[in-house]
Amino acid sequence: MTPERWQKVEEVLQTTLDLPETERSAHLAQVCADDYELRQEAQSLLEAHEEAGDFLEQPALEQDARVLLGQDELGRIATDIGPYQVIDRLGRGGMGEVYLAQDRRLGRRVALKVLPPYFVSDDARLRRFQTEARAASALNHGNILTIYEVGQTDELHFIATEYIEGRTIRELIRAGSLALGEVLDIAIQLVTGLSAAHAAGIVHRDIKPENIMRREDGALKILDFGIAKLLEEPAVESSDWTTSIPNSKTETGALMGTIGYISPEQVRGLGIDERTDVWSCGVVLFEMLTGKRPFTGVTNADTIVAILEGTPPPLFESRVSSTVLRMIARVVEKALSKRAEDRYQTADALLADLKAIETELKRVPADKTSTVIGAGTRVNELASLLHQQATARRRNRFVAAAAVAAVVLAVSSFALYRYFRSDSGPQAPPVKKIYAQMSEDEKLRFVDEQEQRISAMIGERPARLNDEAVRVIKTHVDWYVARKGAKPGDEGLSGVYRRAPPYIPVIAKAFDERRIPVVIGVYLPMLESAYTPCYENSFGAKGLFQFLPQTAQNYGVARADMCDVNKMAPAAAHYIADRMAELGDDSQSMTLVLLSYNQGPNAVLDALRSLRESDTKFERNYWSLFANRDKLSQSFREGAGYVPGFFAVAIIGENPEAFELGMPPLSSLANDALKAR
Amino acid sequence: MMTVATSELTGLLRDWKQGDPTALERLTPLIYDELRRIAHRYAQRERNGHTLQTTALVNEAYLRLAGAEKPDWQNRSHFFAVTAQVMRHILIDHARRRRYVKHGGDVQQVSLEAAGLMAEERAAELISLDEALNDLARIDPRKIRVVEMRYFGGLSLEETANALGTSVMTVRRDWRAAKAWLYKAVNRES
Repeated sequence: MTPERWQKVEEVLQTTLDLPETERSAHLAQVCADDYELRQEAQSLLEAHEEAGDFLEQPALEQDARVLLGQDELGRIATDIGPYQVIDRLGRGGMGEVYLAQDRRLGRRVALKVLPPYFVSDDARLRRFQTEARAASALNHGNILTIYEVGQTDELHFIATEYIEGRTIRELIRAGSLALGEVLDIAIQLVTGLSAAHAAGIVHRDIKPENIMRREDGALKILDFGIAKLLEEPAVESSDWTTSIPNSKTETGALMGTIGYISPEQVRGLGIDERTDVWSCGVVLFEMLTGKRPFTGVTNADTIVAILEGTPPPLFESRVSSTVLRMIARVVEKALSKRAEDRYQTADALLADLKAIETELKRVPADKTSTVIGAGTRVNELASLLHQQATARRRNRFVAAAAVAAVVLAVSSFALYRYFRSDSGPQAPPVKKIYAQMSEDEKLRFVDEQEQRISAMIGERPARLNDEAVRVIKTHVDWYVARKGAKPGDEGLSGVYRRAPPYIPVIAKAFDERRIPVVIGVYLPMLESAYTPCYENSFGAKGLFQFLPQTAQNYGVARADMCDVNKMAPAAAHYIADRMAELGDDSQSMTLVLLSYNQGPNAVLDALRSLRESDTKFERNYWSLFANRDKLSQSFREGAGYVPGFFAVAIIGENPEAFELGMPPLSSLANDALKAR
Repeated sequence: MMTVATSELTGLLRDWKQGDPTALERLTPLIYDELRRIAHRYAQRERNGHTLQTTALVNEAYLRLAGAEKPDWQNRSHFFAVTAQVMRHILIDHARRRRYVKHGGDVQQVSLEAAGLMAEERAAELISLDEALNDLARIDPRKIRVVEMRYFGGLSLEETANALGTSVMTVRRDWRAAKAWLYKAVNRES
């Protein structure tokens, strides 16, 4: 970029940033009308601005004071911790400082991890951690780093572990010289250690290359058992599906956080068991083989979406003739199944397959000159083989859309469920033709019929949609239909549809208990839970509901509190009341209420209750916003555009056969999900 | 080690301000030594304390180096600006050494030398930030000054504005644009 060009880009960026958030995209479109590249450039900087958060806000020296002090000062900073004499500082991670120390009592060297104060400030969390760490310290296995002591001094909590000299798997991956046989050996030792831990009822939950070390003699050690739990928020009582929401609180790596190793169920805050570790092993194995993580994205939100929705690039070319590689690919694929029940159910099962590969590998002649892939083949030689395919899949954009659609779908399902259970609305006419085969007239009639059904479904009163809303709905239907038959690599609506069920019971239950005509847009819980603090740059707020951050700020909620449902609910109520005032008393508008169910169904109910209390026109106010869209000020029209998408998905979801989707209607899924509960 | 004549500091700062390329070189050891000395004293006072405030540190360094000289606002501003640059050099140098040792040397050496002072990830972060800063410098040098003072010098927006002789508004705008640019550059690289 030339200085002149940058000046122009910056000018656009600055004028855009001077505007309220809701007006930015319109402004950007206007000033960059005929300069697509300028717009791209400014847009990406705008996004960077939103994502940057605390980036560079803490002066460098506050992190790096030691550099100034120099080595000789080290000993004076912390010479003694309990019975340990500190010899050297080994590093610093999310878990605080790590020192090399000498145990004065036993004369042995230990690695001493000192927990940062904020980790231990919460008594309940500390107790939980201690319980876990003590359980882990009972593990006695050659592939698990031995925990000697979990202790404290007056000021500090620390963990003393076995000290080993070696390299982390991260370093080995970076060095890029691992051979296939080594990769397999590492995987086998890793899974062997995990298997022993699982047998003792301990799940590691934070397996990643940084947490695995290979000693000089080749022995592998898994570090930090049980410690991951400290990073998690305390469990919410009486709702077991929120017990383990991960967040990405790491101190170093502030510029480039890594969340690429957590499993879909961790992201979603669902229950965690040994299959979570199986997933992470799959990721590590993938990375050892390719040097890349299977799920990545530009931002953490993108990575999370990739974990939940993305298909990893293929490990090997499909036509690869090596039996070993085909076996490896199968193992990785199985370990990385999105659904825990599709993965290896135990570490032992995974281990068995890894050993089978090892056996196969030994059969391959170790002829270095041949092109046969064997134990000595360097993985970075494989990489060139893999590379051809690795770039083939474009993924991010659509996956993001799919995540949104999944939520839309989940919400729709609930509404449909209500409708079908009540048996009070008009019954769906049997569909004779698939949508694609219909004439234009038939298509229009079909959509109109569905609209009527939806009207009945969302409440006992009619929701009248104006012509433009109807038109937009039809556009959306067409869009979904077109999307369904899109490209082979893309995941169609069927994929989105398949993933909806987990959300349904929660939503259905919450609303079944309250007979209120509310359509709820769920604030993507799995994404939100990965963000602490959850600023407006999180995917949920930015991508799904543009007006949320605006609402939060305008209605006095601090950015950092945006994920706090109790603080957000009154703001949302005021927001809605204000929009309704804008529309006038005669409007039949329905507004989307955005809630988090991150904290469990009870929190949703509480939030609804507080909404109701803080909004005297509650019943009336939750009607169709879109119907009166043209009455809204410019800045709110975009948010209203979400409503028709909701209806469109509802129509499709309830008539899958009409859209050539081979699956049952959503309402039946909702029923099943409720029964299963 | 107050051997440097205070007038020398003023002279060096003046040279630096006037664009003498050797001025920074001559200023660096002077400032570095002083910063180290102060940092050590802080560290002794607070054994477990990692509460080193960059601004306080720089302020103290200035007062000591300026010595008996009449406090000079202009001088002080220049000192802050140059100190931020010195800090950047110190940290980036160290990060590069850290990397070098890490990749070239053996494990034992790592733990005794650089590793104790800076985690490898942090070194990688700093290096990629430095590279991004160099790229930005080619198209917008003024922003580099702002970033150096804010991030490496620990100055507030107001202090940065003072040191640069510009308005807080300008600094604020430069800062947000630079942050976005650097954030994008650093993350794209990874």
